Amino acid sequence: MKKIRLILFGVFTLCCLIAWSMPTFAKEKTVAFLSLSDFTGPIAGLAVDIEKACEDYFTYINENGGVDGVKIRYIPIDTRYDVARAISGYKRYRKTNKLLVANAVSTPIGKALEPLFNRDKLVWLVAADGEFVAHPKRGFLWGNCYQDGFSAALDWMAADWKSKGNSGMPTVGYMGWDSAYGRELLRGGKEYAEKIGVNLLKPEYFPTGTMDHSTYLTRLKNANYIWVGGIDPNPTNVIRDAHRLGMTKTIQFVCGYWGPAQYLGVRLHNKALQGTVVTVFTIRGTDAQKHPLIKKMWLKYRKKPINELPGPYGIGLGWALHFEAALRIALKDVGYKKLDGEAMFQAYQKLGGRDITQGIQGICTYGPNERRASKVVRFYQVKGKELVPISGWVKAPDSISLHKF
Amino acid sequence: MNKLRFRQNLRWVLILSFIMFWLTSCAGISKPKPMADLKIEPAQFFLSPALFKKPVTISGSGFKPNELVIIEMVLPEGFKMKGIGEDERNVGIATGNAGADGAFKTTVKPTAVLNWFFQVGWTPMLKPDFKKAKPIPPGSYDVIATGMDSEIFGQAVMNIIPPPKKKK
Repeated sequence: MKKIRLILFGVFTLCCLIAWSMPTFAKEKTVAFLSLSDFTGPIAGLAVDIEKACEDYFTYINENGGVDGVKIRYIPIDTRYDVARAISGYKRYRKTNKLLVANAVSTPIGKALEPLFNRDKLVWLVAADGEFVAHPKRGFLWGNCYQDGFSAALDWMAADWKSKGNSGMPTVGYMGWDSAYGRELLRGGKEYAEKIGVNLLKPEYFPTGTMDHSTYLTRLKNANYIWVGGIDPNPTNVIRDAHRLGMTKTIQFVCGYWGPAQYLGVRLHNKALQGTVVTVFTIRGTDAQKHPLIKKMWLKYRKKPINELPGPYGIGLGWALHFEAALRIALKDVGYKKLDGEAMFQAYQKLGGRDITQGIQGICTYGPNERRASKVVRFYQVKGKELVPISGWVKAPDSISLHKF
Repeated sequence: MNKLRFRQNLRWVLILSFIMFWLTSCAGISKPKPMADLKIEPAQFFLSPALFKKPVTISGSGFKPNELVIIEMVLPEGFKMKGIGEDERNVGIATGNAGADGAFKTTVKPTAVLNWFFQVGWTPMLKPDFKKAKPIPPGSYDVIATGMDSEIFGQAVMNIIPPPKKKK
């Protein structure tokens, strides 16, 4: 009788133990990266290629045993560039086990969710808005900020102007979307133009869906250089119109971070784009095609020829490489059990001073008071069918300090 | 006698095991939060460009003061929507900010109308492509508003009616 009771007690204890330990038994060590992106909406053309790269690198890490045995769960959400959908997506996943980083595809999404990201003690990533650099919290930029890139381009224009035997400073036109993004570059960029003595014409803002940019371009006909913002193929179409008006013969066009890509704009309007300069914080064109990691990931997971590599692919690798490096630090600092958004936040701030992205971006500058991934940019130029480098990494001026945010 | 005792013991072990399983598996389920009030105006509408000029208004009360409120449309089971995963039922259509009194009033913005009501496509020029639109069918859709801090929620029904027939 005692034996039977003992057996039954044993069965009961075992049941209890199994019930309690089931959740930990079933799970492998994972962490999560949530990307509130755009896969079918207005900027899907840009975002999808960045997401592909991020997913590819996380797949590669996981296939090779994870980061110190910890696998990365990549959670993509198609927000279609809609703030409400992004918040709804975040609501669904905010309690995901070991969610450490959330990415916001647009500044309005980031701004709407920032209080929640901060309260949930997450690290979050955002494109290039200077405001997050001016008031550093938990949001980290993908690369350098918009205004620093624009200011670096102003330096390039001034140097180019002088190298052609001209005296004084050039007159620069500015074309950007009629949106917060379109205006962001001049929050610091305008002050920098004044500081170095560049004659910056009244900015021309145009609606995102503009089909013909002639009216805006004509107003800038006296410029020596015209900066064109927007997401490819939009800047490509602006320069297409400028070419039709004969403006590309006398005016040098310079584009921003999301300017013509070798596989998109440069192919679409190749003749019109000849000589166009593109300012970037991630290597592009022929440099990107030759980069060992970019090449490896693209061929392994996308299985397409390297000349079909989309321009922004390297940006997604940048996200993933920073995440991997920070995760490694956080695991070392607190271990898997205590790993959370706060530990990741501390780890991101320790990335500065290292070449995290294997040369895809400049030396990392993330730090306790620094949210720019790097403070450098690079210039490319459309020559023939390619986007070729015309500079190495160039330190961008700090235009954030010139503006009151 | 032994058999009877064995059965009695076994019964108790099974009951206790069941209770243990129930307690552990239900530990993560929190109590339902109190319901907030939610109102959609107009009570019924049809899909038309007029929604951009005179948007659907959503108001609510009973939320935590100053919290962000997310308003989601609940999709009928098996309903496929652009951008929404097959395992998802809720799609965010608006956001609101509760005031100090816990009340909010907001509208369904044009991007949400385009993406979730009309289900448009988008051109590379960032223009909505109505040729690829797939408007959601008329019907009654549940709408839930949830406080992002408090998880307090309110529920209402949004009635989308068929557009009036054009006069010949």
